[in-house]
Amino acid sequence: MRKTGGQLIVLVAINCLVLLVGAAISGGSFLSIFNLQSMASQVPEIGLLAIGVMLAMCAGNGGMDLSGIALANLSGVLSAVLVTSVVSGTEHPAAFTFAYIAVAIAIGFLGGLMNGLLIARLNITPILCTLGTQMAFTGLAVVVSDGKAVSVGSPEPLSSIGNGLLFQIPIGFLIFAAAAVLMAGLLKYTPYGFWLMLTGTNPKAALYAGFPKSRVIITTYALSGTLSGLAGVVIAARNVNVKWDYGSSYLLIAILVAVMAGVRPEGGYGRVICVVLAAVALQLLSSVLNFGGLSNFVRDFAWGALLLTFLAVGRYDLVGILFPGNRQRAALMRTPHASKRES
Amino acid sequence: MRVKSKKVLMGAVVAALVTAGSVGSILAQDKPVIATVVKISGIPWFDRMETGVKAFAEQNPDVVASQSGPATADAAQQLQIVQDLVAKGVKALAVVPMDPAVLEGTLKRAMERGTIVVTHEADNQVNTNVDVEAFNNDAYGTALNERLAECMGKKGKWTTFVGSLGSRTHLQWVGAGEANAKKYPDMQLVDSNNESFDDANGTYEKAKEILRKHPDLKGFQTSAGNDVLGVGRAIDEAGLSGKVCLVGTGLPNPSADLLETGAITAIGFWDPKYAGMAMNSIAKLLVNGKEITDGMDLGVEGYNKVTVTKGAGAGLLVVGNGMVLVDKSTYKERLF
Repeated sequence: MRKTGGQLIVLVAINCLVLLVGAAISGGSFLSIFNLQSMASQVPEIGLLAIGVMLAMCAGNGGMDLSGIALANLSGVLSAVLVTSVVSGTEHPAAFTFAYIAVAIAIGFLGGLMNGLLIARLNITPILCTLGTQMAFTGLAVVVSDGKAVSVGSPEPLSSIGNGLLFQIPIGFLIFAAAAVLMAGLLKYTPYGFWLMLTGTNPKAALYAGFPKSRVIITTYALSGTLSGLAGVVIAARNVNVKWDYGSSYLLIAILVAVMAGVRPEGGYGRVICVVLAAVALQLLSSVLNFGGLSNFVRDFAWGALLLTFLAVGRYDLVGILFPGNRQRAALMRTPHASKRES
Repeated sequence: MRVKSKKVLMGAVVAALVTAGSVGSILAQDKPVIATVVKISGIPWFDRMETGVKAFAEQNPDVVASQSGPATADAAQQLQIVQDLVAKGVKALAVVPMDPAVLEGTLKRAMERGTIVVTHEADNQVNTNVDVEAFNNDAYGTALNERLAECMGKKGKWTTFVGSLGSRTHLQWVGAGEANAKKYPDMQLVDSNNESFDDANGTYEKAKEILRKHPDLKGFQTSAGNDVLGVGRAIDEAGLSGKVCLVGTGLPNPSADLLETGAITAIGFWDPKYAGMAMNSIAKLLVNGKEITDGMDLGVEGYNKVTVTKGAGAGLLVVGNGMVLVDKSTYKERLF
């Protein structure tokens, strides 16, 4: 608990710091409503994928989902191909939107379910399994789209998801926030969340305690896949077109976000709120660098530095050092960890 | 714990708002900003374009011109830069799209916000004020292929490379090349449209594979700026310099060694420096409310008498005459 609070504080502080720096170098235009909206509309894609990665990592036993962006692209592309062949987006925009979203999310769910079944039933190491499905999903997306971009167009409700505002907040961001709240609730208040974290902490104990381990893992990857499907919808809504190779850099960024958020790579711990804040922090940082006109190689460097900082925060009690008042309690809390590591 | 984090949060938010309010009112950019966004930064082609953008900025002190681009070849990363620049409030964007289709939504929003959009290497871009091309793409592809056919003695197996299957201009060049090769019934196209992703190493590996698969291959026609380097290295290492022909888009300086050994037969290009200047020049004209007319002189070499037609969308398509084709004996005249 102590450690998690530290991560949260550092994330909040970094977000505020970057906002301040942005305001300073841009002469305030960084904090203009338009830019805040613009940045908020960019977060959901990577944020949704990062929550998926977090879920997989929490499952422990080397849990990882490398197929996220590939599945998101497949959902977007395949749904576009399927739905446009049945419903015309210009003639029946509402029906098209509804069908498009439903099909894309269903494809995401099925892809994730496939990952889960392969990992839980055939006992394939998650990182290898999702690497394989990643290539399979990408390949399928190339085949169904002939390697070209597929146009979704801007039928009205769908276009609003990508570009519209509700109470001055981009709708895409609201969807992301809603998904995050839902996942956080699921992890905190349902037996599934409880099982997931405990299975991740100690798979053997979970097995002897009679947890439905396979079902937990299948559910986890299916959820991750569903989030990818949702990311595919957001991408399509924002960009008018979907393409199989969109966001090839997202794969590593999503993992970066999850690690920054303090998700334990060994499994058993992760908080959705931290993932959201980490995704926002990365977005702010890259926007600040774009505002400052700095090279994008600087951005890669800054992200790397940030990642190392967060790993340090996770390992050492940096917040305790910065706020000595809490230090004693922190030391007390750390003792059991230390003894565990020695054993 | 909770209280502390809330205090930190509140403090920071208040501080941020105060700073924003105070600084925002002082600073107001008076010079119009023209932001050039390239497909990927740090490669010779777009470094050369940057020299053009800088030269333009020097010649035109009344505007601010700068160039940026993603560190990785990913359309999503370029999209993010464009979106941030629009939010920053630049007056005009000069974009070389990684994938025109992916940028449509964002460019549309930019234009709705009053940002002027000029594109390059994207004559199918719908949401742009002006797309500027260095030359007629079909003519260029035909010229490359004609040079290749001449080297191959108009017969034998040949193949093509494109940057990616989404790079429309690349597909146009190889398409025009294929059409041209139909004139020569002995030329046989094999395994066409290999994707290079503008990565010399990846292209090198792929070219080696193709040479293994087709030991009797006679020619390569390549598209992205780094392809000739990768394919040329593969030809050179296989000891096939002078036996296998290679004609493609490339820059003289990086290609110089391979042109000398004969691994590269000829390179075609347009000077990205002048393309960058032409984009900025058009952007400036539009910012000042001027019109772009047929036969106009943009004041940039190779763009002294441009052809103006209607573009893919509501905008214009401006075509210059900047095609250059050089080989071992002539590349030194154009060394950059």
